[in-house]
Amino acid sequence: MPSEVTEGKIARFSRSLTRLEEAPSYAKSRYQTDVFQEANRLLETDEGLEFLYQYAHRFDAAGVFQDGPWEDPSKLQPPLVAGSLQAKGLPYVIEMLSDLRMLAIAEGKGDHPKVSQEMAMEFLNEVMALNLDLLFPNASEASRIEKKENTVETQRLFQFISQYLSSSALSETLIYEIERLTAQRPITVKRTVSMIKMAKEMLRSETSDDQRRMLESYVSSIEGPSELSRSYQQPNEYRKQLMALSTEELRKESEQLGLSMRKTGLCSPHHSVLARFLSRKSPHLLSVLLQLTGKGKANLEEHAELVHQLIKVSLFPSTCQSVYGLALLLERGVLSASPVIPGLRRMIELDIRPEVRSALFNTVGEGEGLTANSILLAGVISVLGQPLGVGQGLNPTCQAARGISLWAQHAPGYLLEIIPRAARDGDIDMVFEGVQIHSKDLQGGLAPDLHPELDPVSLVLVPHLDRIYSEMMSRVALRGEDGHRWVNPAFYGNWVQKGFSTVIEPITGSVTDYPGFVRLFYATHHPEYNDDYELIYPNPVGIFITNVHGKMLGFHAVSIQRIAKSPDGEYRVYFYNPNNDGSQNWGQGIECTVMGKGELSGESSLPFEEFTSRLYAFHYNPYEQGDAYAVEAENISIVKSLAKESWGQDYTWISK
Amino acid sequence: MELDQLELNQTLQESQPEGKTIPYLTALIGWSLPAIEACDKLNRPFVVVGPPDFKDYAEKHDITFVGWEFDRLNEGSDKLYKQLKALGAEVAVPLYEECVEWAGALNSRFREEPRLFNRSLLLRDKGMMKRKAQMAGIKVGVFEEARDKEDVKRFLKRVNDALLKVDGDKYEPIHCKPLDKAGSVGHRAIDDPADIDALTDSDFPLLMESHLDGQEFSCEVFVNNGKIQFLNITEYVKLGYSNFVPPSPSLEEKRPIIRKAIEQLIEAFEIENGVIHPEYFIMPDGTLHFGEVAARVPGGHIFDLIERAYGFSAYEAQILCSDPNTTEEELRKFFPAEDEALGYAGCLMVHPHVNYIEKLTIPEELEDHSFFEKHDMFTPPQGKVAERVGFGNHYGTIFFFGDDSAEMTRLLVDYEKYDFYL
Repeated sequence: MPSEVTEGKIARFSRSLTRLEEAPSYAKSRYQTDVFQEANRLLETDEGLEFLYQYAHRFDAAGVFQDGPWEDPSKLQPPLVAGSLQAKGLPYVIEMLSDLRMLAIAEGKGDHPKVSQEMAMEFLNEVMALNLDLLFPNASEASRIEKKENTVETQRLFQFISQYLSSSALSETLIYEIERLTAQRPITVKRTVSMIKMAKEMLRSETSDDQRRMLESYVSSIEGPSELSRSYQQPNEYRKQLMALSTEELRKESEQLGLSMRKTGLCSPHHSVLARFLSRKSPHLLSVLLQLTGKGKANLEEHAELVHQLIKVSLFPSTCQSVYGLALLLERGVLSASPVIPGLRRMIELDIRPEVRSALFNTVGEGEGLTANSILLAGVISVLGQPLGVGQGLNPTCQAARGISLWAQHAPGYLLEIIPRAARDGDIDMVFEGVQIHSKDLQGGLAPDLHPELDPVSLVLVPHLDRIYSEMMSRVALRGEDGHRWVNPAFYGNWVQKGFSTVIEPITGSVTDYPGFVRLFYATHHPEYNDDYELIYPNPVGIFITNVHGKMLGFHAVSIQRIAKSPDGEYRVYFYNPNNDGSQNWGQGIECTVMGKGELSGESSLPFEEFTSRLYAFHYNPYEQGDAYAVEAENISIVKSLAKESWGQDYTWISK
Repeated sequence: MELDQLELNQTLQESQPEGKTIPYLTALIGWSLPAIEACDKLNRPFVVVGPPDFKDYAEKHDITFVGWEFDRLNEGSDKLYKQLKALGAEVAVPLYEECVEWAGALNSRFREEPRLFNRSLLLRDKGMMKRKAQMAGIKVGVFEEARDKEDVKRFLKRVNDALLKVDGDKYEPIHCKPLDKAGSVGHRAIDDPADIDALTDSDFPLLMESHLDGQEFSCEVFVNNGKIQFLNITEYVKLGYSNFVPPSPSLEEKRPIIRKAIEQLIEAFEIENGVIHPEYFIMPDGTLHFGEVAARVPGGHIFDLIERAYGFSAYEAQILCSDPNTTEEELRKFFPAEDEALGYAGCLMVHPHVNYIEKLTIPEELEDHSFFEKHDMFTPPQGKVAERVGFGNHYGTIFFFGDDSAEMTRLLVDYEKYDFYL
């Protein structure tokens, strides 16, 4: 029940703020509570924000945020805003006030030594773009189902702030966010799709023509990229319409859908309907829909019969994303690897265990009439087509995701071997130092309760891989050396090199010879020092994850895909980050990019020395070492200071 | 000596009382922002002696700070004294219970009166305190120190035997409390031998005393040079939950008897400077039973209530009175008359009645009541409620101010039962 703003409430707030203003700096905390209390009374009202905003330019100087996490606005992070707003009690009030403070800075009403008007505006734009579900309630399914704290107040705040933001700046941020997500071409597109659905709401507000076109093209990529598909949203109606098309019209339709899919990596249910239709009626147009190059076309022709079967069994409206997977699978020529064809055929008839079956069914809507085999096969097609699109979702299972991605790239036969083992037998076995390890005999792992927002292949494999990896690690835990040395080659296979180097001396937990570590990495990986040995297989490496302030958060597993010169001539490390959020900011100006620096879809990249500064362990081929001594001391010292001032703060440095 | 320093010293000399050439520092023993602020407002230079955890904060805000662990018994008090002396400190003001003997030790060194320290110890051992009071002819309940559970069982039985209870009668409770903890911390009332088993070894030694009937209240007495400068009486509505200042007329009219009792206490305990916070029970016939006395900032937000009711800062008052050099004139100017309260100031300390907090509800009638001033409660982000031991920490406080002590009592009684936390 909204209460009303009264003169009394405003006066009380004003008094409490003045008292805080007058308090000496050490005593601010004594007076902050009253300000938060009075602010909260105003926040409960419809017009309260308006009144609070009139005071917002005084908040910083008065000490409203002093000595707390919100003190320095230049350190605030847009992704954390929603969480605070939906928290109970105090964090919510402070976040509200902090956002009003930001707005005051953005509007030039208040100024801040560390945050410029533009920075504040950018911050708010990003907050808005990340929380469109709050700005446009009802746009997302989740907001309807999950009742969150402070929903009304939060929505009021977003509406209030949005009055001051230009909708075109907001659209731009939003377009950038979507672009960033799609550039990585993830297999699971739930997040992208929900952002695009919200972007649809933006079309109602004023945006520039360019932006409108961009937004519209994203919307149409998931809702129908052609005139016909837009007009007939229901798959069955669309299918009826297709029958009436002439060959030329059909070609045009295929082309439109195909181009859209290749541009965004996103498919609409129409893609599946059209693929099925073409496969039966006009197979020669399939390559148009899939927008295949010469190599893809050749593969399609060679395996037309199988592709036909795959389409029939796996491509349905709710597995439409696999149309894109199929296109890339053909481009990659995966079908030419001899174990792949029988492997795929086996999926169709596989006897899937009930628990796996129900996990698979949960990935699609109810009443679709699909079999679990169809869903699994669609998943396999996606993984084989988009090996770098595999993600760990919300699970701490980066190692398992990295494995699936690596096998999809270089050992599809092996991958097609372990999927049926897991789906049919509920077991995967690996040999580790002569001992057979069966996942069915193991408990726990890193993710005993797997978060189900994953692609079908990961859903089937991760529970097993995760337990096996954990088991291997615990078997070597007491050896006094970093266990990844032995576990990675055993787990991932012979594609992993046997040489291994790590920053941390495991027994003392200190950094011993850092320059030596860096030199070895240069000598084995940097094209100018490693005698031109190209990286052939992805190298599973360990990195320190640091936050935007360079503070260490923990360890993470990524794979180096390749090291090459970017279009503007600098050496960059191109790597696969299984968390599907490849463009993270790691502090110290180290910002991973996912596009624009020569990245292939799904790759993240960083300049060589910046990547090196976050590295803690890597594999190398002991027979392929270059000239460690040749690495410039200057490079080493750049890397070292980046390391020492970030994650290095958490370790003792014995190293020079 | 440089020229500018010379000038500086001259100006300082001018502002000092006779015989004092250097501005001396007041040492605040314990970390308390309101006390720091009060010292600052009085324009008295100060140093804070507090737990080392506060060092960074003090540095950030330019507060002269000496880190000290009060809990750890150590032989290093001499080091602390020398450190403070070197900084120019001459007065120590204790702010918390565990700081009292440290301030006592320091003051006895500052003033070269060794017995000051012993007197402070008297305030830190509830057994010794009761005995001293009894020897001075002050009425106290029956008390004993207990070393183990057997002692407690025997005491409970003997007290109830004396009350002529027979088998099957409900026992009168006895009270157990730690010898050296502030006010109600760790306080338990025991009326069933089975409750004794809940005591653990770490609870011993403890003080046991018979239950005293009568209305409980506390006094906050500002003493300078052995004389009462201001006597505040705080009426307890429910111990550990609610109290208000000044007391309702029925208790207020007992002020002369109370003042007499306090004078007796000051004499017995040889208190000279600072604030004392004794607790009494008063019988309808005006008989006073002494509960206990502390020499620090009282709990229950009483200092805030005094400020609201009388308009002076009790923290400033404490600092002024702790300094033997404060003049009579300064004190007369500082304190209002005891019968000149602006109104009744009360507070309710809210404890959740549930084990897990879903949300906070503040009824509109409360916020709309003319006595309502403010509260400091938010829904805690973490719902689980910490188990309350004795009269442990409360979750929030509601402040009231008004002109009617009966209405104040009604509010405090009614809202004590209200479920603010659901």
